[in-house]
Amino acid sequence: MSRNTLLWILGIAGTLLATAVAVAWMTVGGDRGILLPGKTTDAHHQIELACETCHAAGAFANAKKAEKALNKACRGCHEAELKAAKDSHPPGKFRNPRMAAYWEKLDARLCTACHVEHRPETTRTSAVTTPTDFCVACHSEEEQDVRVNRPSHASLAFDTCASSGCHNYHDNQALYADFLVRHADQPWLAPVPMHRFSAQAQTRTFRTEAAPGRGDAVAPESALRDPAILDAWAGSGHAAAGENCAACHAPAAAKRAGLAEIEAQWVEAPDMAVCEDCHRWQTKTFARGRHGMRQHPRVSKPRNPRRRLAALGLGGWLPEAAVARFTDPAPPRRMTVGEARLPMHAETAHLSLHCGSCHRPHAVDTEAAAVEACASCHNDPHTQAYFGSPHHALWEAEVAGEAEPGTGVSCATCHLEKVERRGNIAVNHNQNDLLRPNSKMIRPVCLDCHGLGFSLDALADPGLIARNFKGKPEIQVESMAWAIRRTVEKPEEEGAGSRVQSPWRNSP
Amino acid sequence: MTQNPAPTLAEDVVLLLLDDQSGTLLPVQEAAFKCALAGATLMDLAFAYRIDTDLHSLMVSDRTPVGDPMLDRILKRISNHPEVSNAHAWVEILSSEEAGIIREQALARLVEHGVLQRHRKLPGLFRAHRYTRVDGAVERELKGHIRDILHSDDIPDPRDVALICLVDACNILADIFPREEIEQVAPRIEQFHRMDLIGHEVTGTIDEARRAIVLAVRTRAARFGKWLAALSLGGGLAAVATLLVPRIPMPDRFGPGLFELLWSDETWQQWSGYTLLGLSLAGLLVALLMKTPLLVRRKSHDWWPLMHVGFGAGCVLALFAHTGFRFGINLNAALMWNYLALLIFGALVGISMRRTAWPPVNAALNRLRRFSIKAHLLALLPLPALLILHLLIVYLY
Repeated sequence: MSRNTLLWILGIAGTLLATAVAVAWMTVGGDRGILLPGKTTDAHHQIELACETCHAAGAFANAKKAEKALNKACRGCHEAELKAAKDSHPPGKFRNPRMAAYWEKLDARLCTACHVEHRPETTRTSAVTTPTDFCVACHSEEEQDVRVNRPSHASLAFDTCASSGCHNYHDNQALYADFLVRHADQPWLAPVPMHRFSAQAQTRTFRTEAAPGRGDAVAPESALRDPAILDAWAGSGHAAAGENCAACHAPAAAKRAGLAEIEAQWVEAPDMAVCEDCHRWQTKTFARGRHGMRQHPRVSKPRNPRRRLAALGLGGWLPEAAVARFTDPAPPRRMTVGEARLPMHAETAHLSLHCGSCHRPHAVDTEAAAVEACASCHNDPHTQAYFGSPHHALWEAEVAGEAEPGTGVSCATCHLEKVERRGNIAVNHNQNDLLRPNSKMIRPVCLDCHGLGFSLDALADPGLIARNFKGKPEIQVESMAWAIRRTVEKPEEEGAGSRVQSPWRNSP
Repeated sequence: MTQNPAPTLAEDVVLLLLDDQSGTLLPVQEAAFKCALAGATLMDLAFAYRIDTDLHSLMVSDRTPVGDPMLDRILKRISNHPEVSNAHAWVEILSSEEAGIIREQALARLVEHGVLQRHRKLPGLFRAHRYTRVDGAVERELKGHIRDILHSDDIPDPRDVALICLVDACNILADIFPREEIEQVAPRIEQFHRMDLIGHEVTGTIDEARRAIVLAVRTRAARFGKWLAALSLGGGLAAVATLLVPRIPMPDRFGPGLFELLWSDETWQQWSGYTLLGLSLAGLLVALLMKTPLLVRRKSHDWWPLMHVGFGAGCVLALFAHTGFRFGINLNAALMWNYLALLIFGALVGISMRRTAWPPVNAALNRLRRFSIKAHLLALLPLPALLILHLLIVYLY
């Protein structure tokens, strides 16, 4: 056999082998990283190798079925938040046959009409893959023509609808005209600026009246050696609520109080599941947010290669070592800091994200979790600028006891929404609920201390956000002035230009 | 013991094209090789005083068989078609319809004489054979003889002049001898083309026939050359542009613009993708058919290299329509690089087929062609796997 023939045979055999391995990765299991057709959006890159989460239609499904499965996956994770945001363009609205004329232009029944994954070239803010003037599809003709309906909009380009702080496609809770008019006369700063739920959270009382000491800790001898840990626990909310060491380290034995049994079941580093036993809603929302997305129940589990091989009629044929090579390299169940796409401190790259990452497990210190924990990993200009900002000064005053509870503004104040649940104040750990578009933050957070007009202007100014609100907004959102003109003053003069000047622009 | 009959010019052409090192046939341009074989056969008939040709006509002067089955068959064919009346037409007919048979016959004769050995390529899969040298003495003797003629000032044998002029007309001399040597003897070769051999063992008729046949062979060998080079150059430049030109930004205006449709609409993506796949398969099919011995014997396929290059150029356009110069990541990026390598090296093969008036340039082009052919074939190897995986990703997910 000549050298050329041998090379051809080897080349063809190698190609066939490589194809077979790659096909096995696709169908049976294994690392599918090299099969990703394009960079995944920032929102989904953590779960990009759990392909079946979104591509749930199965192999060789027709386009319609595949599209349906994709959209079902979108709704599976995002429907609740859209519903809570009173989505202005819910898919159901467009399923009405009267809307059929619009389907050809932009099929708003489908999430994938505007959000397509693996298309980095066309992915814009908020994972939108349609051009920014997409509103033109429906709002430029007949009764929907905003240039006719709103004289003020006649000269506006459609790519300014969602980029000028005036409209969002989904969440317009803080942007609709009546709301703008109702809050038009608010000063830039409330007379008593205070975040009401933060204030309420600080006044919570626990069942135990007598504060426990380090001697109250019940744990195996080996676990009681570190006084710092014991002190941290003794001063914690857990201790105040009557939860002893075993509640987390040996939960099954905690209620029986027998030290021997506690010792037998002692777990040195308890899993997040222990936290979930009591803080169910917090862990649930954590899994919906960017920190814990991989633990979301709808994220597909690693494939079972044995089961898949059996389905292909190859069960039992392959040796165990070969099957092991087709096991999904399940990404760490918890995201690590190093995997983040935002700028982070390099030295924390190895840390994974779980309850204890932010809340010191024994102290359960919510103050540290609200600022220090965030800044220990995040290293972007916005985070850096927080220290020394007016918000930070207020936070320091509150922590020092020099100001009223709820007057300080921490990272968590703005990014982790506090809500009232069953009479208690709970923290929604899904920071996505207050992110992108940032006007989501206005009603639950900003308006506690600031006026609507100021909040709109501030959040529309990227420079001010990067400086963490040091200074004044340099952008004025016109929507409030137009809304007033249209509904209160002379509608026919709506487009005559803004006469309402933001008062903070002239303030010292 | 019977003495071997004198070798034909076609056998000499084949012998000259044996690689010194490997003993296998050099990968010369297929069309040029065929023209050389057609010209060699006509030249043999002219030397045997069976045909008479000048720049305008070719006629059979003696129908008596020569005694060589191959030459006699060609002589009979020429006799039966008096309407085909000039050397250009017969070089065209013979190079396209008889060259394969002439080559097989010449190779068979060399095998018979113990010069070459025949092997089957991938037994049971292909009909084609591979030939390797057994006795290098004959080949070395012939090449040494040609080398001596080129380097001396002696009056050469008319048959040797015909052989040298033939292979030079087909531009395969630079494939046979080193570049430096060709540069050195270029004036001597030119002298052979102008040489008047009347009185040197041949008549004026044969000398005129030599000139007519060499001219016909040169014209024929250069056929499509410009088109091939131009098309390859265009396709190659477009493929290189894919590497160098900035990616075309996606349109930021809503509406059914062409680029928006091309790169965002799934139906358009499928059309452009399958067009690309179809063109690639068509190009591959043409390349395979060109190499099929059965087809070589029966059909004229002079257009086929042009078709192959045409499909390649079409692939560049389809690739642009499908990707818009975007490479993607991971497997898609690998596929894109691989495809571009295939196209660029293919284009280099086409460009390097062009011949110039300068032997050193021709020699450099020959080297480029040999390298590009290997690289083109190497780039072809992983392409099916990458394409299959690309398609599977689309349909499995």
